[in-house]
Amino acid sequence: MSKIIGAVEIGTSCAKALVGEVTEGKSLNIVGKSVRKNEGMRKGEIVDFRKVASSVHAALEEAEKMSGTTVDSVYLAQTGAHIKGSFLRGSANVASPDGRVSVDDLQTAANEAKRKQPASGRSYVHHVRMPIQLDGRSVEDPVGMIGKKVELIYWSIEGDESAIRMNLDLAHNYGLEVADLILSSIASSTMVAGPDLRRAGVLVIDLGAGVTDLALYRNGNVAYTGVIPVGGDHLTGDLSMGLRVLEPYAEELKLEYGKAQSDPSDVDQQLWIIGNKTIGDRKVPRKTMTDIIHVRVVELFEIISKELGDLLDTSELGAGVLLTGGASRLPGIEQLASKVLGVPVTKANFPSGLGNELAQPENSTVLGLLHYGLEDHGLPGEQHKPTNSGFIKKLGGLIGI
Amino acid sequence: MNTNQETFFETNDDSSLNNNSFGIRAKVIGVGGAGISLVDGLRFDNFDFVDNLIIDVDIKAVADSLASQKLTFGRRHTRGMGTGGDVNLGKRLAEEEKDKIRKELEGVDLIFLLAGLGGGVGGGAAPVVARLAREHGALVFAFTPLPFSWEKTRHAQAEECLSELRKHANAVIPLPNDSLLQMGGEDSTALECFAEAGRNVSRGIAAICNIVFKKGMIDVDFSYLRKVFSGRGGRTLFGYGKGSGTEGLREALRDLLVCPMLHMPDVSKAADILLIFIQGGTSLSMSGLQSVSKEIRDSFKAGEDVVFGAHVDENLGEEVKITILGVTSLDPLVPTADVAPVAQQVLELGKNPKQSHRSKLEITNTSPEKTSSMATRKKRGRKSDNKEQNTFFFMEAENQRGIFDDLPSRNMYEGEDLDVPSYLRRGVKIVI
Repeated sequence: MSKIIGAVEIGTSCAKALVGEVTEGKSLNIVGKSVRKNEGMRKGEIVDFRKVASSVHAALEEAEKMSGTTVDSVYLAQTGAHIKGSFLRGSANVASPDGRVSVDDLQTAANEAKRKQPASGRSYVHHVRMPIQLDGRSVEDPVGMIGKKVELIYWSIEGDESAIRMNLDLAHNYGLEVADLILSSIASSTMVAGPDLRRAGVLVIDLGAGVTDLALYRNGNVAYTGVIPVGGDHLTGDLSMGLRVLEPYAEELKLEYGKAQSDPSDVDQQLWIIGNKTIGDRKVPRKTMTDIIHVRVVELFEIISKELGDLLDTSELGAGVLLTGGASRLPGIEQLASKVLGVPVTKANFPSGLGNELAQPENSTVLGLLHYGLEDHGLPGEQHKPTNSGFIKKLGGLIGI
Repeated sequence: MNTNQETFFETNDDSSLNNNSFGIRAKVIGVGGAGISLVDGLRFDNFDFVDNLIIDVDIKAVADSLASQKLTFGRRHTRGMGTGGDVNLGKRLAEEEKDKIRKELEGVDLIFLLAGLGGGVGGGAAPVVARLAREHGALVFAFTPLPFSWEKTRHAQAEECLSELRKHANAVIPLPNDSLLQMGGEDSTALECFAEAGRNVSRGIAAICNIVFKKGMIDVDFSYLRKVFSGRGGRTLFGYGKGSGTEGLREALRDLLVCPMLHMPDVSKAADILLIFIQGGTSLSMSGLQSVSKEIRDSFKAGEDVVFGAHVDENLGEEVKITILGVTSLDPLVPTADVAPVAQQVLELGKNPKQSHRSKLEITNTSPEKTSSMATRKKRGRKSDNKEQNTFFFMEAENQRGIFDDLPSRNMYEGEDLDVPSYLRRGVKIVI
């Protein structure tokens, strides 16, 4: 029996929708895909709801049409500068007299961890569970084992309630349930950093149009996630102002000639702004263009380095740093990032088996949504219900849906 | 609305007499340390009728200045020393001795206020001086250096002072220190860069004074200038360009359009009110002036309120200089009276201070009166109006705004606005 699931990422430059078909419970086929330009967003946040809604709905419609089916529920990506993460802990003494851990003990610990409510105007987006601790030892599934105390730790991500709500409404308005809200950085790292890389320690930097999403893994677990409100659009904006050209031309120049680091061949090279030598067209030095990009990229990685602080430790990052997202296409960005961060940096690869069209850096979040959604992230003994409205339960009455 | 400005091209001969400007008094006022050094650095030729006044609490700084008129205040509190960057102190002291300041403003029609907004006196007292000047019915243009982005708290403080000053002055032209590095030649020294900032102020003041006080090819009188700039100033733009040779005028226009001062964050890309001043040698042609001024007006989406001036200066030879100054109006309906009663303007100030960043595009004025007058203007259109002007077709209105301009909040990280290009904040010189 097969099941249809959907994934939606409402990104700053594009809204993306995927339709996946799960057969035999495990194997996933992508049967529908659509990307629509999104003009209602800035830096990962909605500024024009109706514009965003129309591109999201158009993307969904097209993806559904392509797949020939309809989707009932979707996994939705969430990012934005308002997102913050922190560790929450909860523990429970093993209740049964024979000292065997039961599912109820785990539930008690989970409830205690999630007891802490976010400040008013904020809601939880996502709780990422760390391995369960039984008397201080990490255990995959302690149910039935003998011990005194179980401890649960979550990396809990919260964000601005109205921003999250708008994101959810975009799916609801199309008549879709949101199966789960997933942090963008977690989704993209699920896609580009497999379990072995996560165990070795890896930092995934997803350079989007509006924001840069960070996820750092140590020993296979999330150790940090973050969002920096700087993305590829900032390169375009800087070029537009620095070269005194309009945004669409700056964007084209960036895609065509942009690079992170200037080289000797740039000197004396002049680029036409529009390219067809229309009246009013003029030339700009390629060196200047590269310099503008260079300072922005250096600054971005300096901010990333500052945000991570001690977490950016070469010895804990066996798999180094992976770059993904549309802006990671910028030639030379990995060398520059490596220089600033002081850690080996490479562009991320996709697992084999994905079509060429899908295996593009800007798709890692939306692809990751499906993969993350399929995995079982519940507590042992808890029933895994991917299409149930899990997120709504998670939040309870908090945002009143 | 359609005063003589409309008919300039038809009626103006080589020179027109500016009788109306007779008896107009202008004063350059430097407030605080940076203001004083700007006043001292001004270089005007033949502008004897413009007085220079400097105001500060620092007695020594005032004593060292070359300005002809000097005023110190706040002596009781600071014993003649500075405010130590305390804006509130600067403001309070100026308020306490406002009668003393008022006396200096009496009978002055046009005021150029120069003040560095990062300082205690410049930031605190300049808005008070601007307010008092407006109460006296003067037209106030302010040129205000802003601290570098990396001077974090001072920069934030200066931005607050800027919006305060915008409430009072008719036009405030910010001169961000971040822009200094973008000026001058490729390897300019720091000193040259600061001198360039000083020259910008001279350029702006000279453009306005030339148009109003000096006899040239095309001028306007002061009452017209006053009428056009009577509203409260919103965002402004200020730029200049020069060219030489047979294509001097066009070259100056191209230079103007890439002027670094026009490509800074917070600089308006459109102007409801635009002042254009063109200076050139004897070869300045009428048709050239006409088409260049039209292109400038189109590029900055200027409406009816254009102050245009053109002077021939034989010393310039083949060189042509263009200076423009524009203001985005905050009052969609500019008062039709010659000058709105000052009391009323002051009353309006309190209403909606948050509007100080509103742009032209949000308050597109489509009152029937205005559109019809636009229509008649079109109909009457001079030849060049019909001529195909697609030179700047790629500067469409929706593209005119800074890329992150529509966001309500700033993208602050450790005191710096990340939406402002890194090269500006990091002082990387851009050569184009």
